[in-house]
Formats: sequence, structure tokens, C-alpha cells
Amino acid sequence: MRRLLAPLLAVLVLAGCTARPAGESAPALAGGASTMPGPVPADLALRPAPGTAPAAPAFTGGLTDGTPLTAARLWADRPVVFTFFSSWCTTCVARQDALSDLARRHRDRVVFVGVAGADQAEELQDYLRTHRVEYPVVVDEQQTIWRSYAVREPPAVVLVAKGGALLRGWPGGLDAAALEQRLGELVLAGSG
Amino acid sequence: MRLTTGTRRGTGALAILLLAGTTGCGGPDPGPEAVTPTTVRVLVRDINIRAEGVDCAGTGPYLYFHHRAPFRLLDPDGAALVTGKLPAGTAVAAFAEDLAVERVPTYCEFAVPVQVPQRTGYRLEVAGRPALDLTPDSSEGPALVAVVPA
Repeated sequence: MRRLLAPLLAVLVLAGCTARPAGESAPALAGGASTMPGPVPADLALRPAPGTAPAAPAFTGGLTDGTPLTAARLWADRPVVFTFFSSWCTTCVARQDALSDLARRHRDRVVFVGVAGADQAEELQDYLRTHRVEYPVVVDEQQTIWRSYAVREPPAVVLVAKGGALLRGWPGGLDAAALEQRLGELVLAGSG
Repeated sequence: MRLTTGTRRGTGALAILLLAGTTGCGGPDPGPEAVTPTTVRVLVRDINIRAEGVDCAGTGPYLYFHHRAPFRLLDPDGAALVTGKLPAGTAVAAFAEDLAVERVPTYCEFAVPVQVPQRTGYRLEVAGRPALDLTPDSSEGPALVAVVPA
């Protein structure tokens, strides 16, 4: 009887430590479906995109929780900023808090999308939580999206106009203050 | 608790083995092996456009050279002498000419201070990729250097 009791107790203890109460779901992954934008604000005023701008490479990728994201659906009704990054990138780390804040201030008007390459899932989640990244993050494990935008190393930032015109790309990235200025000059009417 | 005869025998044998282990079986203890400070320098010649001096990673096929990438410094027999994680690389100008622009063609250089015992040769393995041969170089202080691609 004692031989049976010890394993049984161990199972009960482990179950008590790991199981969630009924009805409680696992916490949402940072960068997953819960970060997708809401409706476009009715008062969003945009500058017209130059007719000479090339089309941005379209892609569909999986967010951190596997939810598919189709880039063209986002830029169909508002500008999109792609930030190409890795959790190990020191320049990305130095700039991310301010970029996260900029994205929050422009939430739903300009959609930020992170594109994480050459990264590990756990380290990526640590990065996103530490730097309060509250926008969708595509996991680009093989860097196919990176290559379609000619990104060779993180960081890099790309700005796409409503409708899908590729406005500007910044290899090496840029800080939040410079990006905000460029948003005013290139896409947001009445703010540049 | 009472011990049976068999248990006593086993306990006695274990004690002898532990004693042998603590006193050493191979003669006098040679002590820790002497080590020498040096720097492992790897120049990744990816010719990427960057501002000189910024943090960098290798690009294209060399993207696995990056901050926090695991490395092992190996001796000629493949034994790991040092293990660790790479620091960020630093962008160094690929050409001497002043191009009068902020972003220029650069290489990405990694410098890792290590302490190594004397061996006839050293190799560097990064992120589980095939190891690189390191060459001693004292032109800028003691260093073990490699260039990628070789």
C-alpha cells in the first residue's frame, strides 16, 4: 500500500502545482492576436502617396501565437510601419521602449508590426514584455520577409502608405523621435 | 535504523571508494592549468552598409554571428577550453577611403577576451557551425584571429 501511496501523492502534488482552475486560460502571448488593431478612427487624415512609389512586398506571416497576419489587409485602410528586429540586437533594445510608446500613441491610426528574425521564442517573449511591445509581431524564422524587404541585419524600419505604396526604408533603423517626424512628413496630414 | 550485514559491507566499500576519491588515485595533484589572457578576434567580411562604430551582427549567411550567440573555443582534439556567448560586433570600415557619407561599406568585428591554456592550436565554434581555425597575432596585443569567409 505504501508503495502505491508515494507515487500517488507525487502525482497529486504535481497536478496541484501545474493545473489551472477550470475556465482560466493561459496568458496571451505578447505580439499575438490580442494586439491586432481596432477600427480605423473616423477622423484619420492622410497625405496622398506619391504615384512613383513602388508597391511594398506583400506577405502573410504567423504572429507569435500562430495567428496569420496578411500585410495587405492592414495597409488596405491605414499606413503600416514594419520594424525588423531580434531580441539579441543591442540597438533594437536601446530604441524599443520609445518605439513602443510611439506605437501606442498612434494606435489604430498607423499600425506598427514587428518582424522578428533569427530569434528564440522564449527570448522574444522576454523582449516583448520587457519593452512593452503591444503591437503584432510576426515570427520570420527563416528571414524570408526580411529578404523580401532587403533587410540584412536588425534593426530596420519600413514605412508603407495606405494602399500599399512603399514610402521609405531605413536600414539600421531610426529612433522614435526621427520616426515620428517622418510619419508627419510622409503620411499623417496636419501633423508634419 | 539497523543495518544488515550486506548493507554494512556496501557502506564500508562506499566509504573506501569515497576516501580514495578524496585522496586522489593518480599521484600528486598538478593543480589548475596555467592560463594566459588573450582576445579572440573574428572579422566577418560581409561588406554591409553601416555607420562606422555601431553595434552589428554578421549579415546574410553570417547572421549567426551575433550578440548572445553561443561559442566554444576548442583545442586541436576538439575539447572545449572556453565556452560563452558573443558580445555585439562593431562595424569597422571595409576601405580606407573617406567616402564623405555617414554610412559606408563595413565589416563586423567581434572581440572576445578569454583566458586559455597553452595548446598547439585553437579553433572557434559559433552557434554549432563548423569550427574556424584561429591564428595567433600580436600586432594589437595578444590575440587569436580568424577572418570569415576565410
